[in-house]
Amino acid sequence: MEYLYTIIVMMALYVILASSFDFVIGHGGLISIAHPIFYALGAYASALLAKDLHWPIVLAIPAGAVVAMVASVLVALPALRVSGDYLLIASIGFQLGVIEAIKNLDWTGGAGGLSNIPGVSITQGHGPYVIAVVLIAIATVALLRFVAHSPYGRAISALRDDEPAFIALGRNAMHMKIGIFALGSAIAGLAGGLYAHYFRFLSADQFGIMQSAALLTMVVVGGMRSIWGPVLGAIVLEALPQALTFLNLPPSILGPLQGILFTGLVLIFMFFRPQGLIVAGDVWTGRRNAKEAAHVRRA
Amino acid sequence: MFSLVNLLQIGWTSLATSSYLVLFTLAFALVLKVNRVFNFTQAAVMTVAFYAAYTLVSLLHLPGAAGLLGAFAATLILSALLEIGGFRTLRRRRASPIFLFIFTLIVSELVSYLAMMVYGTWPTTIFPSLFWPVRIIAGVAVSQWDVPAIGATIATVAALFAFLRFTRIGRSMVAVADNPDLAEFYGIAKDRVYLVTLLAAGLISAVAMFLYGTRAQVEPTTALNLLLFAIAATIIGGIGNLGGAVATAVALGLLQNGSILFIPSSWQGFLLYAFLFLAIVCFPRGIRLPRRRLVRNTPTPDLDDGKAEKA
Repeated sequence: MEYLYTIIVMMALYVILASSFDFVIGHGGLISIAHPIFYALGAYASALLAKDLHWPIVLAIPAGAVVAMVASVLVALPALRVSGDYLLIASIGFQLGVIEAIKNLDWTGGAGGLSNIPGVSITQGHGPYVIAVVLIAIATVALLRFVAHSPYGRAISALRDDEPAFIALGRNAMHMKIGIFALGSAIAGLAGGLYAHYFRFLSADQFGIMQSAALLTMVVVGGMRSIWGPVLGAIVLEALPQALTFLNLPPSILGPLQGILFTGLVLIFMFFRPQGLIVAGDVWTGRRNAKEAAHVRRA
Repeated sequence: MFSLVNLLQIGWTSLATSSYLVLFTLAFALVLKVNRVFNFTQAAVMTVAFYAAYTLVSLLHLPGAAGLLGAFAATLILSALLEIGGFRTLRRRRASPIFLFIFTLIVSELVSYLAMMVYGTWPTTIFPSLFWPVRIIAGVAVSQWDVPAIGATIATVAALFAFLRFTRIGRSMVAVADNPDLAEFYGIAKDRVYLVTLLAAGLISAVAMFLYGTRAQVEPTTALNLLLFAIAATIIGGIGNLGGAVATAVALGLLQNGSILFIPSSWQGFLLYAFLFLAIVCFPRGIRLPRRRLVRNTPTPDLDDGKAEKA
């Protein structure tokens, strides 16, 4: 049962992470792959607050989300001055720099990792916690869907599609970008807190470029900018490696094989189905506008 | 700690280790200049170069020269495959820069996973021992690896600049880097230029990785970290400025090695990533030294030809 719980928790966490990541890169068009580092900041902040300052878990987890959000705003202020490839590489620098810092600091557990994190009570069973994580995942998807379809979501689409026009209309692009980044990062931080108190061990290396690639895979395979695409991508790509574990391969083969599966799938999708499993509905741009434009032309 | 001998030693060691860093940077900067791609597949090419040399020298006990030739062959094949099967297809589809970037990153990770599967995750070296005999010159330890490595780097850099300046395809690369559409208008085959650029970068990466693998241990994920240094140096040096990238690589190597005087060596990795972040945020166009302005020394010609005076 514990194994099943673990799979469900990981799927739910990846749904949260992939959906929030898609909100930043897909909807917002902010090309950053540092999402896992906000997951890490939420996880470490929540774990340290609960472990060292004895905060209750229910307070430590949202506090971790706040820490991730504040960190994202502090990073976004200078980093969002650049865009495109530059932002992407700046995000890599930030991500790997924070990982190096975590590995070198004593109070984060250093390279050996942070253990003995207060967790949910085993005597009561993990069931209620698992249900809570799944409900949070559903709430996250619902929240992001609501935002994407709201007037704010329309503004986000406008910013992504034509930033100069967006600014010319008197909107503040920087505030909007920071808002997108902060919301996405806060959700990732929340996922981090949920992870920390379930698994009760954190290692800096698990939040590196490989984690970014895994999230990117979920978004690309699922379908960027579609609400359900990252959800499907997260569930499928979390389930597939679990299927591989039944092959009883040694860990030295299993780990790389899972990596090859992930990266190979992305390449296949990039060349043969770049729109992903679920094609993004053109909510604010594209088909509907094209139809409207055609209608106007006919008129 | 700050004695002259110590400083000289750090300076010399930095210069020697800069040899491969310069070449990694040069390869990355060349592709960025001509193909306009942040080419993370270079990490894949570097990984393949190392493991080709490792297989031939360490596992099959062939001489080092055979290992270098094997690394050349492997990088040429992979670079050609990447350009023809990957970049060319994505260019024809007018793939967005982020799509191209994801492609390069995913390829580099795929190759590192394949290397893990085949060779394991243990660090390895091309030659069985990393120990090189050392001579003390004016109190400074100079290993037998240092001088040939610096020589190989100088020769490679000189060969690349000569190639760009004196060969027809090299001049085409410069033309495409300046204005790809205009170059095509003048009859330059852009696809051929992009292919040659990736091949040249692959050869440079092979030399660099051979040098690195004879000096330090390599594991399948090493190349990606080395590449981040190259990116930082390329951006600080100014994108499109190969000379600036080379000079910055040397300076960053010196700074990183010299940092052990002030901070523990375990923080060197952090320093590199901090460079990378700050370089992009603060100097996205690179650090540009002030240039002397052209000043007109000749008097301004009198356009009315003295008619005003006569009147």
